[in-house]
Amino acid sequence: MSIFHSINTSASALTAQRLRMDTVSSNLANAETTRATINENGEYEPYRRKMVVFESKDNSFNSFLQKARVGSSSQGSGVRVKEIAEDDEPFKLVYNPNHPDANEEGYVQLPNVDPLKEMVDLMSATRSYEANVTALNATKSMLLKALEIGK
Amino acid sequence: MEPLTKISTLQTPNVLSAQNTLSVTPGEAQNKFSTSLKNAIETLNSAQIESDRKTEALAKGEITDLHDVMITSQKASITLQTAIEVQRKVIDAYTEVMRMQV
Repeated sequence: MSIFHSINTSASALTAQRLRMDTVSSNLANAETTRATINENGEYEPYRRKMVVFESKDNSFNSFLQKARVGSSSQGSGVRVKEIAEDDEPFKLVYNPNHPDANEEGYVQLPNVDPLKEMVDLMSATRSYEANVTALNATKSMLLKALEIGK
Repeated sequence: MEPLTKISTLQTPNVLSAQNTLSVTPGEAQNKFSTSLKNAIETLNSAQIESDRKTEALAKGEITDLHDVMITSQKASITLQTAIEVQRKVIDAYTEVMRMQV
């Protein structure tokens, strides 16, 4: 373990939170998109809300083996993105017979994006990012303080 | 009684190894010191080069993660600070030796 271990951990969290922010932007931008993908019937499908799934970085087989062999718990090594999952909540139906994508009854399928939820996610991602930057700066000032020992 | 015997067996090899390190010739010691110094300076240099490369890539617009660049530059800065501190210590020790009365 190097002196930069905790900095690397914070860096992985920053990358992860930035990706979360990207998905929120994408969800908000596509909140009204009725033509995102084409399904097997050749019809347009609305945009599906995307969510980021995180996992701990040190859950490889090797690290578990090491843990079992040495018997000590590791101090962790950050976070990484496991997948970008899609929300399977049903699409919103809105009555709008003049819309080009309206069905026979006059209903349009809109994406399952809730702007309110996205705003909460956005703030959560921002705050997480800030917290990790603070942790990083604290680590840095600790390292610099250590250099002052014996001065 | 068990711990006491353990301590005595532990201490004997330590004394022996202390005598062993004394038998290292000055040339060997200097060589060891210079290699470790060289390695440390090479690590410092590679950190600086990495930071330089990332800053250039950022200026060219090739990098997507801004924090990555900042963190690399901070790492390089901390490594440099450490190197400066060690250098200060070494020079202090040198001047101390030079002031010694013969």
